[in-house]
Amino acid sequence: MLTRRAFHQRLVALALTTALPRVAMATTGGATDEVFLNRLTFGANTAARDDLHRLGRTGWLDAQLAMPVSDAGLDRRLRDARLHMSYAAGDDGEYGSWPAVDEMRPLSMLTTDPAGLVPLLNFTNAMDYSERTRPANEVIVASLIRAVHAKAQLREVMTQFWHNHFHVNALKDETTAVFFPGHDAVIRDHALGNFRSMLGAVARSPAMLYYLNNADSTASPANENFARELLELHTLGAEHYVNDTAPHWRDVPGARDGLAQAYIDQDVYEVARAFTGWSVGDGRTISDGVDAPRTGRFHYVEAWHDPYQKRILGVEFPPNQAPRADAEQVMDILATHPGTARFVCRKIIRRLLADDPDPAMIDRIAAVFLAHADASDQIAQVVRAVVNDPLFDATPPEKFRRPFEFLAGLYRATGVDLTIPNQDFDWALGQAGWRQHSYGPPTGHPDRADRWSSASTMARMVDFALYAHDDWFNCTTTRLSDLAPERASFDALAEFWRERLLGAAGADSLDDLATVFGIDDRSAPMALEPDDLQGLYSSIVAFLAISPAFILR
Amino acid sequence: MASEPRLVVIFLRGGCDGLALVSPASDPDFIAARPEALRVLRTGDGAGHAIGGANADVDFRFHLQAGPLADLYRAGDLSLIHACGLTEATRSHFEAEQRIERSAQAGAEGGWLGRWLKTLPPGADLPAIAVGTALPGSLEGSEAAVAEELGNLILAQGNWLAPALQARIAAGFGNHGPVQASMQQLLVLSAMISGRIWSDSDGAVRPYAPAHAYPDDNPLSAPLMTVAQTFKLEMGTRLATVDMGGWDTHVRQAGDFGQNVDWLSTALMAFWRDLGPLQADTSVVVMTEFGRRLRSNTGGGTDHGRGSVMMVLGPQARGGRMLGRWPGLAHDALEEGADLAVTTDYRVPLAEILTTHMKTADLSPIFPGFAARPIGLFG
Repeated sequence: MLTRRAFHQRLVALALTTALPRVAMATTGGATDEVFLNRLTFGANTAARDDLHRLGRTGWLDAQLAMPVSDAGLDRRLRDARLHMSYAAGDDGEYGSWPAVDEMRPLSMLTTDPAGLVPLLNFTNAMDYSERTRPANEVIVASLIRAVHAKAQLREVMTQFWHNHFHVNALKDETTAVFFPGHDAVIRDHALGNFRSMLGAVARSPAMLYYLNNADSTASPANENFARELLELHTLGAEHYVNDTAPHWRDVPGARDGLAQAYIDQDVYEVARAFTGWSVGDGRTISDGVDAPRTGRFHYVEAWHDPYQKRILGVEFPPNQAPRADAEQVMDILATHPGTARFVCRKIIRRLLADDPDPAMIDRIAAVFLAHADASDQIAQVVRAVVNDPLFDATPPEKFRRPFEFLAGLYRATGVDLTIPNQDFDWALGQAGWRQHSYGPPTGHPDRADRWSSASTMARMVDFALYAHDDWFNCTTTRLSDLAPERASFDALAEFWRERLLGAAGADSLDDLATVFGIDDRSAPMALEPDDLQGLYSSIVAFLAISPAFILR
Repeated sequence: MASEPRLVVIFLRGGCDGLALVSPASDPDFIAARPEALRVLRTGDGAGHAIGGANADVDFRFHLQAGPLADLYRAGDLSLIHACGLTEATRSHFEAEQRIERSAQAGAEGGWLGRWLKTLPPGADLPAIAVGTALPGSLEGSEAAVAEELGNLILAQGNWLAPALQARIAAGFGNHGPVQASMQQLLVLSAMISGRIWSDSDGAVRPYAPAHAYPDDNPLSAPLMTVAQTFKLEMGTRLATVDMGGWDTHVRQAGDFGQNVDWLSTALMAFWRDLGPLQADTSVVVMTEFGRRLRSNTGGGTDHGRGSVMMVLGPQARGGRMLGRWPGLAHDALEEGADLAVTTDYRVPLAEILTTHMKTADLSPIFPGFAARPIGLFG
């Protein structure tokens, strides 16, 4: 591998001999390859273009779908990353006080056994609130590092997709925050796996059990929050909610033939009963003298379960089933329901390809979803079917890079190392409407351009383009001036960054920028001081990023 | 310009428990169904604020932490419409919000406020502002500005490259659908707002100085300050929307709900005082997607219900009254045996505000197929 200095020298030498150097850069086919990568990764970069060129589309996709979760390079980056903890000395008025803290901490909660996190919920342990939410903030910091640096990019893209599908607001309160690393791991482990398995794992995820209040759901009346969102957001979707037109379960089409095609409130009530007792091992009091264990994991409380007969989507549930069998049966029905297949597949196509998926394509992909319902790689098969569908190539790049994707794509394209010594980026994303793992409503972030293209969000993306590589933005210590030639001509530099940002698709002129910087001879090598170089490079990057070719995929 | 009527819509996201905000405190069915912590009481330290002019048979009371709302009500500025909501029986957040904000069956484009905006003659600098980071459903189909604060609409604030960026964006985004439209809007809004709040000498946005202090640590303060500032800058603004989350109280409702009510009440009062003379032309609607279940669940919370309470603030309306028909909470009066029934369609007060306050002659494009009978907000 080239050292940085040798790399520079090579670039400079080449820049001096040609106005348009194509160095250390694998150019692949055409704009279509660039769009292909931008749809299936957090953004095309030099390495991804190189891989695609080497492997071809089928080979690249196979390699991505086969990649395991573990990634030694990423693990090293996460070990090296730090979270800035800073708060004043305090006192909770009852259990004790704590000293002021201002230190950089490793992301150690990501790998802590959940049992070790339970004490963070105990209010007799006096501590600043940010100590209780630290596990969630570690995941938030890690998520940008993963998006930029993970080798298994497609898994990361689908992980973000499923996070928004099975959304938990990690910063809702300390309960969702403390167990969020486990939730993140569940989502990533199943992101390309089997939907039914993921459904079961998510329903047992303590962060989800807290977020949608199922942890407190006992007979009777049960808490309906999780049950309703399981139907409306996780499986059948609101498009299959017909409460205003079907007053009784028998009125729902299909119900009298054994499986209702849609659901009403009576189904919500019954699903809530089926999930009573699904709680968390956080030491809570079950009854006099009986506490839940302190495992920090799913804990089923038989005494809280409503065991009697139920009817869900027209299916009769006998009374007194085995522990957890009611809820498992509910998930079996939902995971293989044609309505779920359509709802979930529409969302996947919307994520990867287009805001308004073609109905016939949804049918094709939903058929794959159902045909592989028992396969351990069901979701990978679905993703493969999306990519292999004729419409994947035929659809023009119309998806809008949402703020998180824009920022991650920018860092991937320039090739900087993310170290993220604090969470300023998360605040900045919030200004653009993106709240990574802390979006308020349980729907997760919307996925249509019209929800992201307001003038103020566009203005924030302009800010990201301008400032993301500045020292004060605090995400990277790599200087752009370390990555590109120091004495190249403006035209050579423009070409260098155009290749990195836009691949072979780039045709944007940067004449306007040359004029602003007062560069008369754009083919003559420039001699600039490092700080001026950094300013010039970040301006070039910004001007290239604020373009339809970068914003749309 | 300053005398043109304005409307502010505050949407309480998540489903506000109208039965706990304006509580039928003496209703025996209510007392029988709800634990004490989820009711407003009539006696003792926790007693709520009694209101007059309501139903003669029931002692309605504002939540203990809704003192400023009770003050506005007693001053004759605030009206209540109880048992108000969607007539279609949906208990899904998404469905209920979408139906209310669209206010139309298939066929009419966009949201009700978006359609109202299209009835205006063009020319205003900033006819509508949605405070937040995305256009709410009610304003869909319009070109309302979206911003948490006005300074957020300035392109590359204070950056020396801003003029070059503006030129680049103006020239470089043709034929790219939503990106092009929003980039063009950004250029227009940026120039217009910079001209009003950017200070060259400070190299910064001039901070808004309200006429009345807003409460600290209140999530509604900054959004309402943005609304007040926008109105005072005289940009022809007729509509503003503000969202407030946190009303989906499935567990341990008592504490969270009280906190929300406190935030809503104190920020709204500060906003109202800050408006000063602009009060005369301003109407504020506080609404939600549904109320909550009469019976609580076993977690000290309430699940999704049906009817809730709508509030209308504005001196033009004859306030200090509770309007609409109170259906009671006896089992036979409940919707599906579970929830406060909806006796006033949410469009009834909205239509009356548009007709009487906003001077809209023809409501048929805004609420197609809906014939509203006024409930007497204004007389």
